[in-house]
Amino acid sequence: MPLVHDGDARAFEVVFDRHADAAFSLAYRMCGRRAMAQDVVQDAFLSLWRSGAAYDRTRGSVRSWVLGVVRNRAIDLFRRETVRTGRDISAEGVVERMPAAEDVALDAERLQDARDVRSALCVLPSEQRQVIELAYFGGFSHMQIAEMLDLPPGTVKGRMRLGLSKLRVALGDPSGAML
Amino acid sequence: MTGRDRTADRHECGGDVAAYALGALDAAEAEAFRRHLQTCTVCQEELASFQEIVDELPLAAPRHRAPASVRRKVMREVAADARRRGRPAPRPGLARRARLVPRPVLALGAALLIAIGVFAAVQSGSSGGTRVLNAQVVGPGSVQLRIAHGHGSLVLRHFAPPPAGKIYEVWVQRGKRAPSSTGALFGVTSTGRGDVAVPGSLRGVSTVMVTPEPAGGSAQPTHAPVITVPLT
Repeated sequence: MPLVHDGDARAFEVVFDRHADAAFSLAYRMCGRRAMAQDVVQDAFLSLWRSGAAYDRTRGSVRSWVLGVVRNRAIDLFRRETVRTGRDISAEGVVERMPAAEDVALDAERLQDARDVRSALCVLPSEQRQVIELAYFGGFSHMQIAEMLDLPPGTVKGRMRLGLSKLRVALGDPSGAML
Repeated sequence: MTGRDRTADRHECGGDVAAYALGALDAAEAEAFRRHLQTCTVCQEELASFQEIVDELPLAAPRHRAPASVRRKVMREVAADARRRGRPAPRPGLARRARLVPRPVLALGAALLIAIGVFAAVQSGSSGGTRVLNAQVVGPGSVQLRIAHGHGSLVLRHFAPPPAGKIYEVWVQRGKRAPSSTGALFGVTSTGRGDVAVPGSLRGVSTVMVTPEPAGGSAQPTHAPVITVPLT
């Protein structure tokens, strides 16, 4: 990343090749439309290229940084679309935005990580999984989720906290069991 | 009592941590929570642990290959920017050219690669143009060095954190010369995970190694390596 910071396009190409599939997968999962996901990924990587200085390695991996920018770009796009066309913000609408998987090769370690995360999400109580997915992949605020599910905002926050605590235990940090 | 203390008192401790980690607080709430965080170590710790989980959530998304058209558009703009700044441009059409190689040549190349792959499988593997080498580690956990286009990254799983007051530093060694620091300093998450880019090209590098060093790093290694990856 120091080379990307210095404007080295070859170093940036390595970063792109390493993270583009994960970035597109996240964008497609959030947008549900291939063309929109392409726009999000393109905007996100160009933004990363032009602001390489914003990466702070003490605050996480390059992958987390890239995917964070992708997610923010997707949410920005949702907000613009909501203003223009009135986005469907029902929980069902979000679920419909989930595309089917392609056969994309992952190395064995990443494949196992992906399986672990999916199975940990699957065993969560549905009401906890729902608020986590609506917030993370749907880009909805807790107030929007409370409105669409007809729940008090405090209940939504509580379900998010319980859900993340259970995921933490399931994914290997036993300190989560203390909560 | 200061204004900051009063803010912290008004805040329901812990109630917003998960929503904040998921990016689900509105701007005003997020700002209030950030102020609360400055004085609440309990929320700081809980947020750090939740953030690790949130960082893993993208793995739950079905996997898709990024379209080649996105790569073309992005790298075209990057190359134009780089030329304007007088910086090295990406190698034009590298991925494209690979697909234009005649089939018989591809078949011969594939056979050769399979032979090399079988030979190298004991210590390494490859995926999508990435070479993966298993590191020799001291203590628990596993570490891989993944190399693509001459650049590497270390992927750590279940690896022990550095001793108190220390940080891990990444070194490269060329031939019999003394190891030189890459400037990369890192720790691991509470679950022993780490994903660290090795700065610079690995061309000519014979060994990548990691040592625990005092916070801030060292000019020369002061401890024996805990991770060693021979490249030759």
